[in-house]
Amino acid sequence: MNEHTLDILRTCSLVILLAPLAGAVLAGALGRPLLRGATHWIVILGVAGAVAGAFVVLFTLHGTETGPTTAALALYQWIATGAGTWFAVEVLIDPLTAIMLVTVTGISLLVVIYSRDYMREHHHPQRGYERFFAFLGLFVFSMCALVLSGNFLLLYLGWEAVGLCSYLLIGFYYQRPAAAAAAKKAFLVNRVGDFGFGLGVLLIYLTFGTLQYGSVFDMVAAGVTGAGDPLPTARVTAIALLLLCGACGKSAQLPLHVWLPDAMEGPSPVSALIHAATMVTAGVYMVARCGAIFTASPLAMTIVAVLGAATALFAATIALTQTDLKRILAYSTISQLGYMFLGLGVFAADTAIFHLYTHAFFKALLFLAAGSVMHALGGIIDVRQFGGLRRLLPWTFILFVVGAAALAGVPLLSGFFSKDEIIHHAFEQHWLLGLLGLVTAVLTAFYSGRMVFLAFFGPPRVPEGVHPHESGHWMLLPMGVLAAGAVAAGYVGVHAFDQPFHRFLHPVFASTFAAHAHGQFAVAHGGLWAQYGLLIVSGALALLGIAAAWFAYVAQPWLPATLKAVFVGAHQTLWHKYYVDELYGAVIVRPLRRIGRFCVDTDDSVVDGLLWLITAVPRGLAFTFRALHGGVLQSYAVTMVVGLTIMVLLVLAL
Amino acid sequence: MSLKAYILALAPELIVLFGACLVLLLGRRDLRRQPPAAPLAAFVTLSVALGVAFLTGVPEEPRLVPGLWLGGLTFYIRLIGLAVGAVLVLVNWHQAVEDERGEYLSMILFSLLGVLLTASADDLLVLLFALELVSVPTYVLIALSRSSHRAGEAAVKYFFLGALATALLAYGLSFLYGVMGTTALHRVTDAGVVSTLGGGSALETYALIGLLLVFAGVAFKMAAVPFHVYAPDVYEGAAAPVTGLLGFAPKAAGFVALLRLFDACAWDLPQHLFWLLWIVAAATMTVGNVVALLQTNVKRMLAYSSIAHTGYILIALLVGPATGEGPLRDGVAAVLFYLPVYGLMNLGAFALIGAFRIDEREPETLDELAGLARRAPAESLTLGVFVFSLMGFPPTAGMLAKVFVFGSAFSAGSAHPHRLALIVLAVIGVANAAIAAAYYLRIVTAVYMKNEGCRCLPAQGGPIRLGLLACALPLLLVFVWPGALTHEARRASAHVHPPTLRLAAPALTDPPPTPVAITARTVATSTAGQP
Repeated sequence: MNEHTLDILRTCSLVILLAPLAGAVLAGALGRPLLRGATHWIVILGVAGAVAGAFVVLFTLHGTETGPTTAALALYQWIATGAGTWFAVEVLIDPLTAIMLVTVTGISLLVVIYSRDYMREHHHPQRGYERFFAFLGLFVFSMCALVLSGNFLLLYLGWEAVGLCSYLLIGFYYQRPAAAAAAKKAFLVNRVGDFGFGLGVLLIYLTFGTLQYGSVFDMVAAGVTGAGDPLPTARVTAIALLLLCGACGKSAQLPLHVWLPDAMEGPSPVSALIHAATMVTAGVYMVARCGAIFTASPLAMTIVAVLGAATALFAATIALTQTDLKRILAYSTISQLGYMFLGLGVFAADTAIFHLYTHAFFKALLFLAAGSVMHALGGIIDVRQFGGLRRLLPWTFILFVVGAAALAGVPLLSGFFSKDEIIHHAFEQHWLLGLLGLVTAVLTAFYSGRMVFLAFFGPPRVPEGVHPHESGHWMLLPMGVLAAGAVAAGYVGVHAFDQPFHRFLHPVFASTFAAHAHGQFAVAHGGLWAQYGLLIVSGALALLGIAAAWFAYVAQPWLPATLKAVFVGAHQTLWHKYYVDELYGAVIVRPLRRIGRFCVDTDDSVVDGLLWLITAVPRGLAFTFRALHGGVLQSYAVTMVVGLTIMVLLVLAL
Repeated sequence: MSLKAYILALAPELIVLFGACLVLLLGRRDLRRQPPAAPLAAFVTLSVALGVAFLTGVPEEPRLVPGLWLGGLTFYIRLIGLAVGAVLVLVNWHQAVEDERGEYLSMILFSLLGVLLTASADDLLVLLFALELVSVPTYVLIALSRSSHRAGEAAVKYFFLGALATALLAYGLSFLYGVMGTTALHRVTDAGVVSTLGGGSALETYALIGLLLVFAGVAFKMAAVPFHVYAPDVYEGAAAPVTGLLGFAPKAAGFVALLRLFDACAWDLPQHLFWLLWIVAAATMTVGNVVALLQTNVKRMLAYSSIAHTGYILIALLVGPATGEGPLRDGVAAVLFYLPVYGLMNLGAFALIGAFRIDEREPETLDELAGLARRAPAESLTLGVFVFSLMGFPPTAGMLAKVFVFGSAFSAGSAHPHRLALIVLAVIGVANAAIAAAYYLRIVTAVYMKNEGCRCLPAQGGPIRLGLLACALPLLLVFVWPGALTHEARRASAHVHPPTLRLAAPALTDPPPTPVAITARTVATSTAGQP
């Protein structure tokens, strides 16, 4: 890359960071007193600037025919840590960054546009229109900072900043106790993960003496520590597992998944943007980015793969029985994130990122469409209370079906290609992982179909006093764009078109994931059957799942109730999400509360008493000195002179 | 040394001087004018002086003009003094009653002029007068700041105790002159104190007493234990915008004076003096923070917090100049970084109090500020910035300032003779910073968490709100991008301790030196330099 290209990239990264930040700050500062109902414009402009920057980055990198496509740019030095070492504010731009940026900023822009109508007309007379857009802009800035950062310190800052935005936006309707509790839960569960993540970053610094990506990854590859000693595998494994701990929190993987379903208390655009398309994929991005560390530890990779596959299946089964449309989607998100981790764990990082990219389209679309349903029904989202909306909300229906079909893995839609590829790579690694993937795929298809059939088919049924109306253009147009993406975005990664997506990403993972993969990188090998057999099987399974859902919820509507009655134990377990919340409540929350109460009691009685005793001495002194501090000028002068005398005596006598 | 060269070298100071006189005159005519001419003139004066200071830049090497020393430190203090001064004028825009506004604002300018001159003084007498120029106008300011009898009481107290401190200072300087036989600081640096103290001669005691008395006089201005007793009364009695000045000008001038004097000792303090300062630093932090815990009056609380911050800065002063690369290892740079940051966050906190009125007076207690966030969300947000900065919390410059101070002590290096003592001192400092959070957070709690209706009404004028913004924004920006300030601070630090000047000095092995004995170097300057 020449100087000119680097200059372009530098400018772009500044624009990508500063434009949304400026939008957020202006919206926050001027929104209430000046802009009011027009606040969305300033944030739309800011995010649009970021989108433009992201696309310039993408095309600049894509246009680089020869030489490396990685640019590490130091924007400026932050503080010196001694001996000439600085913490730099630096960015790392490579194809992975470019794809993440385009995905994040693009979806953000669509969601911000959608929010204009949703937040204005939706069921909230309370103030906060300006606040919402300011937070949204702040989120885009934080997410871009996370993706762009060139060292672990900035990554950590971005990581915490998106967590903060997530907290603020889940609790957006803070007057509702459920929303406030959900925000708190998300924050606390993420703290558990982030604690591990923070320890991981510290351990990296202690091991390598630097936090810069390039230096750290080079040292891991060379197997040396910062001091030049050989690097023990146990140390790498420890770092990888600590980082994974953070990823589990942010990306809602087992056992830290409990916050994501509750996070649906936030406004629907927030669910679409933060809790489906972008922030929750930060863990996937981080593991992909730290491929050098993870692939250096076989144990860590195995854990990533098993964790991903287990989470995918676990969440998919829960989604079968839930009735809150957004919660079904939330469990589906956890499940799909599990797929991505499975992809990472089986050394197919490019495929995991590919699934991240396609998933962003169809899941954001599904959430926005669910938001549109909520919008139409005045805030009701439980599928037991409505049905047959097909005729009442024709556009929403079509858009939702497109999203659900992509999620289900209906052949030739985007979700189909990426999911199939992950399962394919899982089979290459271990047949059990692949099988888990396939079972999950059937379940996914089933619950996708179930959502559609329950909400949109059957006789029209709406709650009392609600008059459904189709959403306006501000909401439908962004959904339309996402639907187009859900249909067509997958073709950049299809074998038949030579997989430009994977070829673009290849340099990033060439020396890490790809070098360790069992199969040939990103290209299916073997005969025609190995290449297309699985494709056909998984496609057929997807259709089978949808057909089963149709059979159970449209053709024979008595069937679910019968099954529920027969398998009452299983249904109860799933309905209560495997009792994980109850378990955590019993094992962690309540004991902690008891300890907390105990501490408060101890503090009130013992510690306060002790403190009273300890401070009795200064207080006694204070009484003695009150004559001196009592506002009498002469006594002040005496204090000074006595003090000086003591000082002189100390110096001269000792 | 021609007159022209003098004028050029002192251009920013001269501008402030003439500006102060102009403001004094304009004040007489302010009664009939809108907008008021005096504050505007004061603000413009400081802005122009800041621009000129920026344009004249830094000399490559410290330069001696008779009686004056011009180097990176001069430049740095000009920048921060004038910048903080401009914010001070904004905050004090409407403070004085209208027919006293000229006097009032010109006193602010004179006090700032004193700060600037302290940084350039190369003569013990110039140093003394500069320090007095900082303090004397503040007595007037306190008295003029509001019509309450408490302001008059505070002014009188401050004046008498200040006179006592000045007497100590002058007495100490006379001892130093007696020992050295010269009043020129750079020549003290070259030969005098260093060899006297190191040689174990009979004069050592006198030099030690001299240094101690000077420290006592300066410690009063910085509000260090045991010369801090006046601070709570005076801070509480003066109007809040003036208190903001008291937390910056005398403190900055005092630390700059100590920097120059310690440099005269080549940063090789005699054992006794080091341990004495160690005790003073530890006591200052602890007394300030512990007593602040008991306060319910915000102004008194901030006064004790101001004492505590003096203790933090003293840590870095004891560490001394660079023992390695970067501000984390350079105590002097840490001191210099701390001064403007503290000046702004302290000024901001007091300005916020000055921006509201309850029954025609400032809100003072925590109860009176309770629930302010509902009435004035924007102002309360800036208060949050100031309080978190005072606590040393990210993302504010206060956090970096503390990191630099404590970091300089922790990384003082094995070369430092008192390495372990410094580390212990830094640990005491960190513990104190934790204690301090308890009372700082009470302010935030009162403003944000209490629901009762706040009776505070906004005070007159937009400038004070602009001042709040001008305090809060730099604190955030410096955290994000500290490079410019740390760069200047390090350059100033390098000039405070310039090896070149010292190397050029003749090695004098035989004290006591007389003025005649020290004639070796720079004949031109030394002859012209005799007062």
